[in-house]
Amino acid sequence: MEATDLRRTFRRSSGLLRRTHQEVEAVRGVSFHLDKGELFGLLGPNGAGKTTTIKMLITLLLPTAGSATVAGFDVVRDPREVRRRIGYVFGGDRGLYERLNARDNLRYFGELYGVAPAVQRRRIPELLEMVGLTGREKEKVEGYSRGMRQRLHIARGLLHDPEVVFLDEPSIGIDPVGARELRETVARLVAVGKTVLLTTHYMFEADELCDRIAVIRSGEIVAEGTPAQLKQAVSGGRVLEVETYGAPESVVEGIRGLAGVRSVAVDDRGQQQVLLVQCEPGAQLTQPVLALLGDVRVGRVALREPTLEDAYIELVTSP
Amino acid sequence: MRGVLRQLWVCYRIQLKVISSDWFDGVLAVFFPLMFATAALLVYRVNGDPAAMQYVGLGAAIMGMWTCQGVIASSLLSRERWAGTLELVVATPVSMTRVLVPTTLALSTVGLYCVVATYLWERWVFGLELQVLSWPLFVVAVLLTALTLATFGFFLSVTAVRYRVSWSLGAALEYPGWLLCGFVVPLAILPAWTHPLSWAIPTTWGMAAVRDAASGASPWSNLALCAAVGIGYAAVAAWLGKVLVESARRHASLSLR
Amino acid sequence: MLTNARIFFVGGLLSYRSLFDWLSPWILVPSLLVSPICQVLLFAYIGRGAGVGNDEFYVIGNALSYAAIPCLFAMGATIEGERWGQTLGIVLATPARRIPLFLGRSLPVIVNGWFVAIVGILAGVVLLHTSIPAHSWPALLVAVAVASTSCTGLGLAMGAVTLRVRQGAVFGNVLFCVLLVFSGVNVSLDQLPTWMARIGSWLPLSHAIEAARGIADGESLVEVGGLLLDELGIAVLYAVLGLVLLRFFEDESRRRATLDRM
Repeated sequence: MEATDLRRTFRRSSGLLRRTHQEVEAVRGVSFHLDKGELFGLLGPNGAGKTTTIKMLITLLLPTAGSATVAGFDVVRDPREVRRRIGYVFGGDRGLYERLNARDNLRYFGELYGVAPAVQRRRIPELLEMVGLTGREKEKVEGYSRGMRQRLHIARGLLHDPEVVFLDEPSIGIDPVGARELRETVARLVAVGKTVLLTTHYMFEADELCDRIAVIRSGEIVAEGTPAQLKQAVSGGRVLEVETYGAPESVVEGIRGLAGVRSVAVDDRGQQQVLLVQCEPGAQLTQPVLALLGDVRVGRVALREPTLEDAYIELVTSP
Repeated sequence: MRGVLRQLWVCYRIQLKVISSDWFDGVLAVFFPLMFATAALLVYRVNGDPAAMQYVGLGAAIMGMWTCQGVIASSLLSRERWAGTLELVVATPVSMTRVLVPTTLALSTVGLYCVVATYLWERWVFGLELQVLSWPLFVVAVLLTALTLATFGFFLSVTAVRYRVSWSLGAALEYPGWLLCGFVVPLAILPAWTHPLSWAIPTTWGMAAVRDAASGASPWSNLALCAAVGIGYAAVAAWLGKVLVESARRHASLSLR
Repeated sequence: MLTNARIFFVGGLLSYRSLFDWLSPWILVPSLLVSPICQVLLFAYIGRGAGVGNDEFYVIGNALSYAAIPCLFAMGATIEGERWGQTLGIVLATPARRIPLFLGRSLPVIVNGWFVAIVGILAGVVLLHTSIPAHSWPALLVAVAVASTSCTGLGLAMGAVTLRVRQGAVFGNVLFCVLLVFSGVNVSLDQLPTWMARIGSWLPLSHAIEAARGIADGESLVEVGGLLLDELGIAVLYAVLGLVLLRFFEDESRRRATLDRM
């Protein structure tokens, strides 16, 4: 899969008699590529353009500019060929026929994807088994929990054995146990050779699953690489966490001024503040920081490796 | 070809299940036109002329089909939009036509149920026994009316891909349809400028054919016109479906609720 | 007192605007302008086709009948909508007095119904050339207001019921149809079968429609005053029923948590 300089603008209209039109650039020049069998993560805050990007790739939206190919076919010129080869799963509990049972939901989409009857008879029970809905397939979807709906969604997305699977925030609103099962399901998809594009808000999910990650902000990709590369590229050094009680602003300013300090974030927790000091690679900052704090009461002090979340927050908040 | 027929058949059956599984919706689809039919019958009953009762009885029976198709079909895609399935359906490799036609056929099936329900209602509540001289032709005429109404519903529903308020426009079609198709009002007493509108609806011809069959006249010319107009709508709708899905992709109007 | 007045006027208008989701022109124009006109035309032509009654008879009956649509649906929506939005519990947790709270919501609804009925009558005048004497209009406007008040009373009762049985839209449609058939909209009560007429006389609209027809034929407000008082009595009957039901459901929900169940 290849995306080259994808752009998409929306026209928003407001007002009834005097309509004012406003152009909003949701995606401004996104490029990336996925190799076959790769699991690629697209991370970004709400409204960053993740879903818009996905919708262009799955042929639901036409790009304003740029081009993309999925499974070797152009998303604008050959939407049908693309559609045959992709599965699309989004998070949340919409997108199912509430009044039908799980099996009929799958049969319906099986027909629309042109899955042969003999294949359907074999594949539907298989998929229900895989997502753990065996035994409940005759119940109407109305009565399903969110986790069950989400799993049914995934089964639907895989009905026609697509080469590429798009998962748009699949774990949204699912409890931790469900989310873990979901991660296992996704890992299995990659194991059988599917190419997967995943968007998510959960850093550990991306960290655990993705081969490569792109961080998208305001419609642009601001960083791309393996999870390890991202952590390195952003922070390089480690993070010093200091619990303090009543550290004055002047002291925090002082720490900011220390050589080897990249940034200092203060996390206020009532009487306690936690200083998060991002260090340059190789800098030894524990002693100088404690010295500056002087007689301010200090609790736990820890030096840790940066997490993907540290990297992500720095990427999407840095000016 | 066999694959396509199979897909249409399975989708028809599943959609029929969706429509008929909601008890409230089902009752309403029948109840609403039935009550209007009742009101019309009550008006005609004041004079009690048997010929007029036969006229309104036949029309009232077909009236319900219009509601099932005209009103529900146009809200069909709005429902899919609301349930979040519209995007998924568009994202499948089959064309909109192959998704919508089985659905509107399912609605027509509910419409046929309406015809039977109204017929029984007239018989039991009003003691009105409709005179049908040729039952086979009568059934053919009713079936073809249902079929062409499905293509008309297909045409209405397709516009909803792009315009999310089209359900309210569809609901607004209910009364005009009842007026224009000659169910309970003879077309001759309507203003002349409305006649072309009536002729443009396949149901008008279907209704005329139903009356022919009931009275023993030959319904074939009206049936031919009914089929021709119906096919016309199907062709336009298939083309429109393509254009509007494209336009929805361009304007991002699929997922809006 | 002032608080109650504010709850009545300001609160009523706000909840009408927020909970009645038809207030977009795309829905408003077809459903509250085009449809009432079409209903008037439909039955006027049915009447002509059947050779029964005159246009004025159907214009008045159907214009008033269609007023029931906004009255039932908007009133139902202002109560049921709270349930969908899960806000009813929040509203009931406030100390606001219930009577001004819910009656306040009915005022904008009555105005809405009144307006729709007038549109229907005007359509009859313009499109079907129904003539209503100029001096009858003031009394006619009053009769229409009374009709839409009593429909709103029924709407309040319906809204209360929908708190427990959901499917408010279905209920609204069913009640609308019942009124259409039983309330003398298209066949005057004395020409209906007796049992139907008896039911009709306990429903909103029947007295107001009769009064409005009388007015259009030149009767004065005093002459139809009895009918209008009957209609107001029916309005009060259903409104009280609605408030009692609301009260009952509120108490019951506090005992058994039935309100937020979807």
